[in-house]
Amino acid sequence: MDTQVLYNIVHQEAFGLNIAIYFYLTGLSAGSFILSTLAYGFGLNQYKPLGKVGVVLATGLLIMAPLFLLIHIGMPHRAWHLFIYLNFESPITWGSFLLVLYPINCLIYGYFMFKERMKPTRIFGFIGIPLAILVHGYTGFILAFGKARALWNTALMPILFLASAIVSGIALMILVCIVRDRFFSKAKKVSQELIFSLGRLLAWMIVFDLFLVACDLIVLSISHSDAQAAAQLILSGKFSLMFLVVENLLGKIVPFILLVNPRFRSTASVIVASILVIIGIFYMRYVVVLAGEFIPLM
Amino acid sequence: MKDDKKRYAMLIDLRKCIGCNACAVACKSENNVPLGVWRSWVKKVEKGNYPDSQEFFLPVVCNNCEKPICVTVCPVWASIKRPDGIVYIDPHRCIGCRYCMAACPYGVRYIHPTRKIAEKCTWCHHRVDAGLLPACVLACPTEAILFGNLEDPESEIAKAVAKNAVQVIKPEIGTDPHTFYIALDIDVVEAKQTEKKLREDKE
Repeated sequence: MDTQVLYNIVHQEAFGLNIAIYFYLTGLSAGSFILSTLAYGFGLNQYKPLGKVGVVLATGLLIMAPLFLLIHIGMPHRAWHLFIYLNFESPITWGSFLLVLYPINCLIYGYFMFKERMKPTRIFGFIGIPLAILVHGYTGFILAFGKARALWNTALMPILFLASAIVSGIALMILVCIVRDRFFSKAKKVSQELIFSLGRLLAWMIVFDLFLVACDLIVLSISHSDAQAAAQLILSGKFSLMFLVVENLLGKIVPFILLVNPRFRSTASVIVASILVIIGIFYMRYVVVLAGEFIPLM
Repeated sequence: MKDDKKRYAMLIDLRKCIGCNACAVACKSENNVPLGVWRSWVKKVEKGNYPDSQEFFLPVVCNNCEKPICVTVCPVWASIKRPDGIVYIDPHRCIGCRYCMAACPYGVRYIHPTRKIAEKCTWCHHRVDAGLLPACVLACPTEAILFGNLEDPESEIAKAVAKNAVQVIKPEIGTDPHTFYIALDIDVVEAKQTEKKLREDKE
């Protein structure tokens, strides 16, 4: 049966680019923080050079991220309502507390780290890990609570967000470490061992992320009709170029090959892979947010 | 009828709807709804191929759900469900975060272009509180829209809902909507603009 919409209204966009950028920045922050605790919390000493960079990045990015929320909301001067009128069923309420506690914890953790006091550093590192996971995981719940949007309403969303957060965090860390070692260290030389070890970590996190994306897609494409429409939108519709080529081919598969194939084993290829990953994860956020609300509900 | 429970509901008889848009116009005027956004509107869908085709109308208002997801996700309790079932937005509380818009399965919410807060159909709660009917109900020339207290067995709407085959939009979402329809066609609800048409409309 042919059905054709003769008239319907055009709905406003609910979440736009600002929210995608916000998710991206909290993801980078959480990823950097978790890497920074590898040495100072878990005692993996080969990652010690990451500790300070990690905490500075985590704090800086997380201070930037809520600014995009303030740009996004219509009434920024009422943002204090979030701390007075609490609806604990709403993920945004969880977030308003996490977005305060997490950077404060980062500052304390960083302070002790720079003062070289290992015991409190370790304690605040361990407090920070669940906070970092929650501060990014809750953004997955924000989308998952949009229960009529097939692309968002999945229990995989928080874990998918966390996996991509760690992927982007490692990639950012690699780039920052290379820039620091090359231009700002005394030796002016990049530590190959650290870079390759991070590269291997990145490669395997990419595999995990790809696995989650595949799980999500497979279930979407056989689920109810809205879910099939969403799968079609990202596989062959308007977002297919971004989703398939930019996010997954250039942002995950190509970097994975660059990182694991011994023929490409060089600092340059790790740099290229990291840049591709960072761009790819940005498009992941963009596609999830924008494609999720692209199909009109009525 | 003192201290009895109140639960407002709306029933739209699509067999009587002639697609005249009087409800949408009355709503715009009553609630001062700015250009480019709508609290209620009439979706028009054509089924079949001419000449064996028929145009269907679907007037859309807020469903004032029993389990409203917009109230669940509102971080500041700006969206609340009143005891009489109307989902109301406190204009002084709303921070304009748009989460309710993202979560609403029916797309009935919008951000006011200048006030920057979320607004939607509230079944004209200000009129209802004053003992009047919502503007769209009065405007409808074919009396296709009924409004009243569903808990009162003597009310017109309670009888009509009991005696007719009624349907709500997207019951599977689990929000328990309270805008009922008679002769609702699933194809009309699900019909979406094609991607090409959406792009043209947005431009």
